[in-house]
Amino acid sequence: MNANKSARKKRKYKDKALYYLKKLALFVISVFVLSIIVFWLSRLTPGDPLMAYYGERASQMGEAERAHALTRLGLDQPTLTQYIYWLKNAFEGDFGISYKYKQPVLSVIAGRLLNTALLGGISFVLMFILALLLGIFCIWHEDRLADKILCKVGTIISCIPEFWLSLVLILVFAVILHIAPSSGAYTIGHSGDVADRIRHLILPLIAVILSHLWYYTYMIRNKLAEEVREDYVLLAKAKGLSRRDIMFKHCIRGILPAYFSIMAISIPHVVGGTYIVEMLFSYPGIGTLSYEAAQLHDYNMLMVLCIITGVVVIFFNILSQIINERIDPRIKAREKTEEIYESLGENGGVING
Amino acid sequence: MDKHSSRRPPVISIGILALISLACLFSEVIMTKDPSYLDLYNCNVAPNSEFLFGTDTLGRDIFSMIWYGGRISLFIGLLSTLISTVIAVVFGALSGMAPKWLDDILMRFTEILLSVPSLLLIVLLQAIFGDAGTLSIAVVIGLTGWISIAKIVRTEVRQLSGSRYIIASRCMGGSFFHILWRHLTPNFFPTIMFMIVMNIRSAIVAESTLSFMGIGLPIEVISWGSMLSLAQRAMLTGSYWIIVIPGVFLVLTIFCMTEIGNYLRKTSGRRASNL
Repeated sequence: MNANKSARKKRKYKDKALYYLKKLALFVISVFVLSIIVFWLSRLTPGDPLMAYYGERASQMGEAERAHALTRLGLDQPTLTQYIYWLKNAFEGDFGISYKYKQPVLSVIAGRLLNTALLGGISFVLMFILALLLGIFCIWHEDRLADKILCKVGTIISCIPEFWLSLVLILVFAVILHIAPSSGAYTIGHSGDVADRIRHLILPLIAVILSHLWYYTYMIRNKLAEEVREDYVLLAKAKGLSRRDIMFKHCIRGILPAYFSIMAISIPHVVGGTYIVEMLFSYPGIGTLSYEAAQLHDYNMLMVLCIITGVVVIFFNILSQIINERIDPRIKAREKTEEIYESLGENGGVING
Repeated sequence: MDKHSSRRPPVISIGILALISLACLFSEVIMTKDPSYLDLYNCNVAPNSEFLFGTDTLGRDIFSMIWYGGRISLFIGLLSTLISTVIAVVFGALSGMAPKWLDDILMRFTEILLSVPSLLLIVLLQAIFGDAGTLSIAVVIGLTGWISIAKIVRTEVRQLSGSRYIIASRCMGGSFFHILWRHLTPNFFPTIMFMIVMNIRSAIVAESTLSFMGIGLPIEVISWGSMLSLAQRAMLTGSYWIIVIPGVFLVLTIFCMTEIGNYLRKTSGRRASNL
């Protein structure tokens, strides 16, 4: 009897380990395939990578000089050989040098990563809190005026393209009212000044949060709307619990798994949005850097940036899958259109930065 | 899900959208000026009785550009959605009717594609296609936007493909495309209808974002996005109308499409649960 039980327990652990191993394999393969796609596509684009390295001088180079330069950067090999070479070096932690900055890619990125992490991280945390609070507020006043107004205003705001929202914010607060700086991460010479950094962060933060917040708030609102119609709420009410207790002690707990998975889905979209906002505010982060790298054919830089973005996106996609499948078994295997659509995030994941 | 929200069709949104579309379609009748004429004596003129929406930094009449450019914006939205939908339906149906191992591979493939930042994919594809034109940008956006619809189509096809009429059609020698077109598409089309509408709006947003960043349509091809690419210069002179007016039209159009899409989403959900 006892042996039987422990065997069953063992099998359960084995299943669990297998499940996470599968997810890990999916993660590794995804990142690998992503690196192939980006490597191959970036080599397909016409344009001269030497321009990034040598600037205007590249166009005046002679035949022999060009060939020499290409050999030096390893660009004369077939794409496959280049890729294998790149992969081998990458495993040793060497991602090559940036053609534009003439420095190891990692050290260029390291300086910018913190800025993006700051912008993305703060907007995500604020969104995480605000989405739940607004969702609760809407359901608390469900179908009353406040809820209706909030829903309408939210829908309108979520329809504003991120770049235009940023433009309008710059126009109003920087150009007309002069109360916030319109570009950069800090005033030159004040890189250590926290207050100055915060002042520079305010407008980009508002742009990122406003353009993504409502989509997720609305999803939470709908989840909560289903939850408050469950039978146990009636029971709790009959027991004499107050509205507030039912909401905060029971209903919120009921939607927690859905809440976490919704917020995990939102991360790739916030990351993509951060990139657009960065470009508009000339904020020195990963987004401006990747735009530059793609334009200048700075291959090594592009690869690392894509892989960093890809790792974040793939990781959180898989995390939200795991939350859906394991923590909330009710959702598992219910292959319904609506749920797949929801699992894709904003706009069904069509365009995400 | 929304038991309490009304299921009335969004009449106002449909009306506004129809009005904008018609005005763009017949822009020749409405335009008061030549939209591409550079009136260098009248640059950055604020809205007045001659230039209803003012002029931009190149002296073009914004009122005329809105309708003329709207046609291109809407056209790109429609064309790229058409491309996405065709790819999505074929891919989704293939995956849905394939044996399990192939289905698994195809689905993993879409997951990987979904994780590539699509803006980056668009930038790279656009570079491969060379100079951006109305057609090439529509194709590029179409090529990158089909994945989510394909996932839904695949799920629907998986559920439908066991049905007797599909098996019957197969026994009678119906080819893949025959079954897809005659039997599957009519059944799953209502479910993906709302995604198609949402896809149009995403494509319009994508086009405007790209053109704004200077990697989409060039400034001489007028669209709502390329009109906004003058925004940085307009900012310096404080000409707010150059930024605000095309944006308002963009947001209005997108909002109307969202309302229609959400309505379709609710009605399609209802139909599915009654079956």
